Order: sequence, then structure tokens, then C-alpha cells
Amino acid sequence: MASTAYFAASMALALLGLYALLTSRNMIRAIIGLEVMTSAVNLNILAMGSGEGGVDPLAQSMAFTSIVIGAAVAALALSLVIYAYRHYGSIDLRRLRRLRW
Amino acid sequence: MVNGQAWMVLTPLATLLGAAILTPIIASAAKRVKPGGGKAVDVFAILGFTAALYTLYRLYLQVYYSGPISMVLDPYLPVKGGVELHVDIFSVYMAMLFCGLGLLASIYSAKYMEGDTGLEYYYLLLLTLVAGMIGVAFAGDFFNLFVSWELMCISSYALVSFRKYRWEPVEAGFKYLMMSSVGSLIILYGISLLYGLTGTVNFRLIRIGLDSIAEKGVPSSLYFLVAFIIAGFGVTASIVPFHTWLPDAHPAAPSPISAMLSGVVIKAGVYGLARSLFTLFNPAAFDYGTVILAFAALTMTVANFTALLQRDIKRLLAYSSIANIGYITAGLGIAAYTLSHYYSVDPGLALRVALLAASGSLFHIFNHAIGKGLLFLCSGCFAHETGTRDISRLEGVGRRMFLTGTSFSLGLFSLAGVPPLSGFWSKLFIILAGLSIAGDGALYTVVAILIFNSILSAAYYLWLMQRIMLRKPTGVAAEAVEAPGSMVIPIIILAALSVIVGLAPGGMITLMEYVGKAMMGGW
Repeated sequence: MASTAYFAASMALALLGLYALLTSRNMIRAIIGLEVMTSAVNLNILAMGSGEGGVDPLAQSMAFTSIVIGAAVAALALSLVIYAYRHYGSIDLRRLRRLRW
Repeated sequence: MVNGQAWMVLTPLATLLGAAILTPIIASAAKRVKPGGGKAVDVFAILGFTAALYTLYRLYLQVYYSGPISMVLDPYLPVKGGVELHVDIFSVYMAMLFCGLGLLASIYSAKYMEGDTGLEYYYLLLLTLVAGMIGVAFAGDFFNLFVSWELMCISSYALVSFRKYRWEPVEAGFKYLMMSSVGSLIILYGISLLYGLTGTVNFRLIRIGLDSIAEKGVPSSLYFLVAFIIAGFGVTASIVPFHTWLPDAHPAAPSPISAMLSGVVIKAGVYGLARSLFTLFNPAAFDYGTVILAFAALTMTVANFTALLQRDIKRLLAYSSIANIGYITAGLGIAAYTLSHYYSVDPGLALRVALLAASGSLFHIFNHAIGKGLLFLCSGCFAHETGTRDISRLEGVGRRMFLTGTSFSLGLFSLAGVPPLSGFWSKLFIILAGLSIAGDGALYTVVAILIFNSILSAAYYLWLMQRIMLRKPTGVAAEAVEAPGSMVIPIIILAALSVIVGLAPGGMITLMEYVGKAMMGGW
């Protein structure tokens, strides 16, 4: 079944994104990991909504909304990266250890 | 279709979002009249919150006397269930708490944030934060819930890192953003799976779909969905393996925002958890109570022990927030546990115990919101007057700032559960509920852990109170003077509330029973 393949792909993509988020030392790469996870979730929504007559309009609108929200989160995260760079002169996550993680 | 009464549901959201859109316009108009703009935005935001609170009060009366209101928007009819705002007494209760604390935080901010620039954006974000939380409380389907949830989350990331010229808010904000976004994505993943399973995002229709699946025995794969919901909402609710953003984000944010985060934003997480678990998964058929109890016991124990190590007053309060989330989730867990284990044996007893536990935990949401809001606002006053958050340098400051210090002690006593104050009643309810089923080992263990943690937290609350109020002030603390009036007023309102509710808890307890029924009864 096609939707099972999409489901498996989205699960794999989500795990890849989480791996990138947890292991990367570069703030921008961590954000890319977050974006990969967002795409995985969007893919899953569409896979779940796909049926005989194409994709359910509800699933489409949810995926669109999620894309817009993901863009807003990414913009905010990247603006924080700029400020972190101004404070630390680096976007290495290991340098951001002044708070006890 | 939409009738006249259903439009009332939209009024609080429309008021807050409208005020948010108008705030920058008001600010730029005020700057033309007077350089700097004076207090125009502050007053405008306070008026916006007051108006929203009034519309919520109207809605509360409507819901209290004539039952839940539902508003279905179905512009595209092929969708099952449509997009729905569903308001019952639980939603209105949480929304009033969110909006009330938002009003007090904005009054407090007028003086506290005086020295900052970009205040129009600060108030815009505060208004959208509260609008997002009210949207979460009013949502009748996952589509609305998710959009409001992200509105709330994005506003709170921006507010935590509002003072971006310092390193601490930027670092804490980045960490908060990363962790909380992953939490939101986990929720969305769970939503998409529920949607794939039942073909709808509407709470009521999902419940019908899941009930028909559960009739032939619960497949263990459905617990996967429960895990998604607990993990996703657990990040914002700061349940213990997912809590690490909180002790950084709360101290880094400006104090009114710490009060909002600790008082109500994490409660929105608890709301999402309680609403989606109790509404979607019939607690008599699914056994998620045990998991919640285990998380609750872990949460309170870890948080209370870590709190003992803190030197920063706001960090200590942040850890104590996590511990209180442990008490609240323990109440929810007891309710779910008794329903799933004893409903088939003795339905009457199970429902009674579950209602007692649920109303205790909802009452504790109220007590912790006002108590912790009060403590964070007081610590903001101390920091504002002395310029430090270090407990050892703040010793004795309560003697110099009498009103703030007294209110601070009242807040500590209330959260410690000293009898005449409001925090006592809610903890009593949760403990009584846990003890009322004879011979259940799991419940007794959780109650024993809860009592132990209460005593431990009471000990460090008293230690903190003794250092702030009774020691001889030295250094910066000796030169402190009472905070300005507009900062003290919200503090006194909160302190008075905890005393009044504590002395006359009758009305509140009756209300909590309704709210608890609404939470458990589904739709």
C-alpha cells in the first residue's frame, strides 16, 4: 500500500531530523534538523489523508498551516542565532553552555 | 450552523487579537503626539485585557447556567465534523485564569518594563500569548488546538528572549524554542496518526471512533498515541524528563513573563494533556493512569531535590513550579487510575474518588497560578530594587520592602500548604482521593511520595522565607526601598486572593466539582 510506504518514510525522516537536532554542534544545522522533522510530520499528515479521490482537503489545509507555522518558528530561531553570534562570536552549540543544560 | 449565542465564543479571542493588532498603531500614534509615546501602549494593553476578561465573564455566566456552547465553522462541507470551538466550564475556567494573570502581568509591566525599548511588541506578544492560550482552551478539534498552541508557543519564545541584548535570554530562548518545537511536532505527529485512524480531527468524533475500536479490546498500538500525547504536551507542561528548558527560561525572561510562564503557560500544557487524554481516550477502557502517576512521582521528587541546590531565587521558584506540576499531574493520574481499575468493580466509588482527585488537581492549578504568579512578581520587585537574584545577597530584603515581603511570605505559605491558605485545600483533596480506595498499593505509594515531597518543599519554602524576611539586611538589601505602587498592586491582589479563597473555599470547591465533571465527562 502506498500510504504505508509514506508512513514509513515519514517515520524515518522524523528520526533523521531528531538525530540531526540532537547531535549537531552548529545552531543552524540544529534548526535544519527541526525543519526536517516538520517536513516529516507534514508528509505523515498527507499520507494519512490520502485516499481514493486524492488527498482529503482537511489534511491539505493542516499541512499548509503547519508549513506556515514552521516558517515562523524557523525565522524566530534564525534571528536568535544572529543574536547568539553577536554575543559569543560563534554559532557552536558547545559554546552556549553558560546555563547548566 | 452558527447562531447568535455561539458568537460569544469568539469575543474574548477577537478582543485580544484585535488589541494585539492595534497596539503598534497606537504606539506610533502616541509617539507623534509625545516623544517616547508615554504610557499609551501600557494603558491600551491593560484596557484590552480588561475587556477580554469582561467578555470571558459574560461567557462564564452563560456556560455556568446553560451548559457548554459549541460553534462549528464548516466552510468546506466534505470535512467530517468541521472546525469547532467548544466551550465548557473547564475551558472557561482555564481561560479566565489565563486572562486574569495576563491582566495583572500587564499592570505590573507598566513600571517594570519602563526602561526597555520596543514595548509595543512586548505588549503585542503578551496579548497574542494570552489569545493563543484561550484558543487552546476553547478548541473543539485538533486543528484549532494546534494553531492556537503554536501562537502561544511562538509568542512565549519571543517573550523569553525579549531582552536580546543580554546573553542569558538568547541562550535560554534558543533552548526553549528547540525543545518546545520538538514537543509541538510530537503533538502534531500524534494528531496526524489519530486523524489517519479515525478520519477526523474533531474531539467528539475521534472519541466515537476510538470507542468503537476499544470495544473489541484495546490494541496495544493505541498506547503509542497516548505516549505521543504525554510526551508532546509534557514538554510544555514540564513533566520530568522533558523539563530541562524550564529552569533556564523562567529566570531569563522578564519577571512578569516568568509569572505568566510559570503561572499559566505550563498549565496550558496540563490542560492540553488532560483535555486530550480524558476526552479522547475513555479512562475506563484505557489504562494511562499508571503512566501518569509514575511521571508525577518522578517529576515532584527530581524537582524538589534539585530545588535544594539553587542559589538564584527565580531558579529555585522555577524548580518548585516543576514540583507543583508533579502534584497536579498526580491528581489527574489518580483520577485516571481509579477510573480504569475500579470502574468495573464499583462505578459509584470510582467516579467519586476520580472527581475528588480531579477537582483537587484543578483547584491546585488555580492555587499554583496565583501563588507562583505572586512569587515571581515579588522576586521581580526584589530584583528591580536591588539588581540581584542571588538569595544570599537578598537576605533580609523583606524587612525593607514590607508589603512585597509579606505577600511573598503569604505566597510561600500558600504553596507550602499551611492550613488557612488556599494551597492547603487542593493538596488535601488530592491526598484524600489517593487514600480513599482501601488497600491499593500504587495509590498509597504515590500519596506517600506526595506527602514526603510536600514536607520537603515546605522546608525549603520556610528556609527561603526565613532568609528573605527575618535575617538582618546587609549590602544592597539594606538600601532597598518599597517597589512602586503599580508593581505592588498586582502582588497585593494575588496575595489577597490566596487568603480569601483559603478562608472561604466553599464556592471554589463547588465550582471545581463542575469543572472536574466537565473535564472527565467528555462532551
